[in-house]
Amino acid sequence: MPQLNSVYRHRAADRVLTTVDTYRLSGGYLALEKALGEMTADELLYVFHRSGLRGRGGAGFPMGRKASFLPKDAQLAKYLVCNADESEPGTFKDREIMELNPHQLIEGMVLAGYAIGAERGYIYIRGEYEYQAQILDAAIEAARESGYLGSDIAGSKVDFDLTLYRGAGAYICGEETGLLESLEGKRGQPRLKPPFPAVKGLWASPTLLNNVETLAALPPIVENGPDWYAGMGTEKSPGTKVFSISGHVTKPGNYEVVLGDTTLRELIFDMAGGLREGRSFKACWVGGSSVPVLAEQHLDTPLDYESLQEAGTFLGSGGCIVMDDSGCIVRASLRLASFYRHESCGKCTPCREGTGWMENVLQRMVDGEGRMEDFELMEALFGRIGGKCLCALADGAVAPISSAIRLFRKDFVRVVSEGSPLPQPMSPQLEMSGGRANA
Amino acid sequence: MPDYAPVDLTGTDLVEFELNGRTVKAPAGTMLVDACAANGVEVPIFCYEPRLGDPLGACRQCLVSVEGIPGLTTACSTPVAAEMMVDTVSEEVREAQDGILELLLENHPLDCPVCDKGGECPLQDRTFRFGPGESRMVEPKRHFPKPLKLSPQIALDRERCISCYRCVRFSQDVSEDGNLTMSERGGRSEITTFTGDSYNGRFTGNVIDLCPVGALTSIPYRFTSRPWDIQNTPSVCASCSVGCNTELTLREGEIKRVQGRDEPNWQVEEGWLCNVGRWGYGADQAPQRLRQPILRDGGETRECSLEEAVAAAGLVLAHEAHTTVLLGGDVTVEEAFIAKELAAGPLPDAQVGSAGVVGAALGPLRALPAAQLGDIDGADLVVVVGGDPANQHPVAELRLRKARRAGARIVLVGPRAQELESLGESIRTAPGNLAEGLTSAVAQIATVKRPLVVWDELDLDAEPDAAVVLATALGDNAAASQLELTSEVNGAGLRALGVAPHSRLVDQDLGGVLAVRANPGAGPGGDAWNRALDSGGPIVVIASHHSELTERATVVIPCSSHFEHEGVLVTAGQRAQRLRPGAAGPEQSAPGWEILIALSHRLGVALEYRSPRSAFAAATASAPALSGLDYDTLGDLGAEIATSPASDVNGAGAPRAHDGEGLPLVTGRSVFGGPEAHLSEGLVVTATGEEAVLHPAEAARLNVADANLITLNSPNGECTVRLRLDPGAPEGAVFAVRGVPGGTVESLLAPDRAPVNVTVNTA
Repeated sequence: MPQLNSVYRHRAADRVLTTVDTYRLSGGYLALEKALGEMTADELLYVFHRSGLRGRGGAGFPMGRKASFLPKDAQLAKYLVCNADESEPGTFKDREIMELNPHQLIEGMVLAGYAIGAERGYIYIRGEYEYQAQILDAAIEAARESGYLGSDIAGSKVDFDLTLYRGAGAYICGEETGLLESLEGKRGQPRLKPPFPAVKGLWASPTLLNNVETLAALPPIVENGPDWYAGMGTEKSPGTKVFSISGHVTKPGNYEVVLGDTTLRELIFDMAGGLREGRSFKACWVGGSSVPVLAEQHLDTPLDYESLQEAGTFLGSGGCIVMDDSGCIVRASLRLASFYRHESCGKCTPCREGTGWMENVLQRMVDGEGRMEDFELMEALFGRIGGKCLCALADGAVAPISSAIRLFRKDFVRVVSEGSPLPQPMSPQLEMSGGRANA
Repeated sequence: MPDYAPVDLTGTDLVEFELNGRTVKAPAGTMLVDACAANGVEVPIFCYEPRLGDPLGACRQCLVSVEGIPGLTTACSTPVAAEMMVDTVSEEVREAQDGILELLLENHPLDCPVCDKGGECPLQDRTFRFGPGESRMVEPKRHFPKPLKLSPQIALDRERCISCYRCVRFSQDVSEDGNLTMSERGGRSEITTFTGDSYNGRFTGNVIDLCPVGALTSIPYRFTSRPWDIQNTPSVCASCSVGCNTELTLREGEIKRVQGRDEPNWQVEEGWLCNVGRWGYGADQAPQRLRQPILRDGGETRECSLEEAVAAAGLVLAHEAHTTVLLGGDVTVEEAFIAKELAAGPLPDAQVGSAGVVGAALGPLRALPAAQLGDIDGADLVVVVGGDPANQHPVAELRLRKARRAGARIVLVGPRAQELESLGESIRTAPGNLAEGLTSAVAQIATVKRPLVVWDELDLDAEPDAAVVLATALGDNAAASQLELTSEVNGAGLRALGVAPHSRLVDQDLGGVLAVRANPGAGPGGDAWNRALDSGGPIVVIASHHSELTERATVVIPCSSHFEHEGVLVTAGQRAQRLRPGAAGPEQSAPGWEILIALSHRLGVALEYRSPRSAFAAATASAPALSGLDYDTLGDLGAEIATSPASDVNGAGAPRAHDGEGLPLVTGRSVFGGPEAHLSEGLVVTATGEEAVLHPAEAARLNVADANLITLNSPNGECTVRLRLDPGAPEGAVFAVRGVPGGTVESLLAPDRAPVNVTVNTA
């Protein structure tokens, strides 16, 4: 169960690294100086490739390969865009990086920008992250003043600058093409692919989009070499990954683990302090809310891309939401369905209409008006919504609900047949006053 | 609406692919939906609309299975490739298409019995063919208050909307006004305007045709008809010389609707119409419509029968020593031809003239290869010389925008500020300096592969030297072509028949007058015309609407409007196109050609044409430019007439001199302020008026203020009009909008539209 703080370097350094000086004291910007001074862009790209780093936003696409999709001979300017929208429920790993270690992200972006030949980068940060945006703005300004951004960075003749752009609070703007639309000042809705952003992205120019955690992993990779990174974890899941644990655990928070070395049980019960006294484990959405739910029998699954996939879910964003037996899986599913109905952008028919319908059916169940034929209807809906849309939002809406009905069918059947959505959601006040568990 | 893009299966670039087990062909790169349609397989669609630009892929209705692509893929966005294996009928595809329709109908109100779209609704049709028979949703549907007035002409029913984005894309990507947008998100998405105002514009009505459900309906049309008790007729719009192809909807003897055709004319309007073309039919039902023949005998005015009126017309004209036939700019080829025959035969000592300008120096330009509006698409450089296409020839604007989006360079040169200046390089010239202003454009014409010049007849007639410069530049590039935007709807047709403009007749003794759709008193030199008409003999007017001329006429014979008769108009691009009657017209009216034939009988020399078809056949035999054409060759889409031979351009070395004192006057008209716009009930709220426009600096020098009434005086007449100051207007000139019914700007002009100067004073 080795823990590592390569992305979360501020933890190893035991202090926040929000200023250029503190960051430098912890070895910051050395990778930048080394790469821009000694390496060609292609060599740097190869380092990314060789490290095996996979995109940490959710899809897990190899970062180096994605970067190599940008056409080398493009006439248009290239762009680097950092996805800091972090809107996946239960996910707050990027927030800590931006709050406590913003320069590592900036350094990572300069490295990625240099590797792909971009001179302009954007950080698209979710609107709710106002405090983090202030920190990033200050850090970008400080980096610029210290010569790590702007023209002729660290005397290397390399130009690269960053602009922070705040979103306005839409889940869909975390989807890469929806993000680009929003960044261009338009309504945030996904685009038809192909063309992929690598070919036709921001302002129809070749664009590399990466998550905060992905980009922040680049400086240690360059510093320690790609083999160091690839040596950790499993063959298909190299390196470290930050998991954000929330829900019914006693020590919620971010935990950076080496992939494949830690099981879900260890993450929940050892690192995150386990459940509250007297409670037993019920369910867990391990990769944010858009992935199939896991039950008790999955607790010994190692945390890496392939093992989680074998267990029927996805590593996703690493936003691990834990629910103990005080929660109701039907209500939880309804809550998730409401979220996706609310966040559906409305572009594709199946998502726009289907997410609302799923919510309606679950609401009926919770209201005691469920019917046994609703199970058949829901199955049909899953098929009619899943895999039919432009982007993955609808798939993400289907996954937690379809898996919940499959894994916890008894709970659903009980709610439908007994007409009672038990138990009610718990509030801490009620529990402390010994209040009702059922109502 | 054309659901699928036209596919040419006769070309050489075809690839073979497998479609439902059959080997078929289509050009490589054709989108699968179109390739399937061309091979007789319908893939249902909603958001796909080839004219709106790149596919959107939003409705997901066209999911099909393509071997090698995991899952299903949208046929609207997948280009066909050699050896592709496509399945549009498998169980998986059927289930997906059924699924999308079930979801589309989930919240759709299914109020088809009271929906205007019912019976001609793609959502209905495709549900019938591809969708489920019943709904499984037991919850209440989503509701919105309805309908909303999206504009004075367009009703929005948000419950029926299936969020296909067609209307939004039209606004954003075709008319580029950018005002329609989707607000809210997910299931609460609704169409609205970005500004929150009414959705006003020149082309807004097209969103009604584009809407695949009953969400956007025409306020003038709604609740007037059902699709099973109407009759649709293909025709041509006569609101301007663009000649958009239309479909007329007839019910209870009246035109109830005009819309773009299902099979549009890709060389002309591509299915788009401007709002006047769409709703101008209301003018036919306006109170100003002539519904009863009128006789004036001494001081007495009385209504009479059609027969009596024709008899009286024959009587009064036969007794004149000499006569004048005045033709409007929109008479059909047949009407003009028969009128000419009348003048050559039974009418005593007659001369014929039509509205329009002489255009002495325009011959060489007209003799160059004529482009169609559709050719603007393929040009790499489009030079717009003079005019204001957005207001005078509206649908041309959409072509120019499309060309610009495709990467063509647009250069606009002309004497006035105009709507499309932001489309490209704009060179504004002082009156008289057009030739000089063309220098840069001329240089560019020489260096590009496919230059095309769109030119305005009136502005080049005023500056013949510029026409010569242009003709020379275009003549030097073998790939160059020209597109004339004529001022008169059938200007090219009248020219082909050899009818000269009537301005030469104004100073003569007119004798008895036969006016066919003509109203020279409201045109240039109106005062002079009215003097001439008042001092001449009896006037016989054949017209569809009341006018100043019908007020002074001895005999008024109501005739068909262009919605009510058969005939040919030669529109932009020298394209002969057929009008077809969509309605019968008022009981006491008759088609213009028929009245003229009846008149010939009364005059004693009966002309033998029994139909417009036979009159057109005789016209083509007499006019070389029309030879070889007949109604069958014109068909639904029309055909180009022969290019006229270049005429002599001696004396075209300089712009025509301006007459009078003061500032040069530049005029233009707007279809959106013309008679149809003002007479049609549906359009009158958005109709524009007369105005004069000055640069603020010029206004300061002249001591006149914004929004004040000013008086303009020229040697031809006087007019009082409201002033608008516009920093975009050129200094050293006055711009005025003419052509507004009841307006007086035209009276400032000379009958032959010779350039004038005007003095400006506060009224």
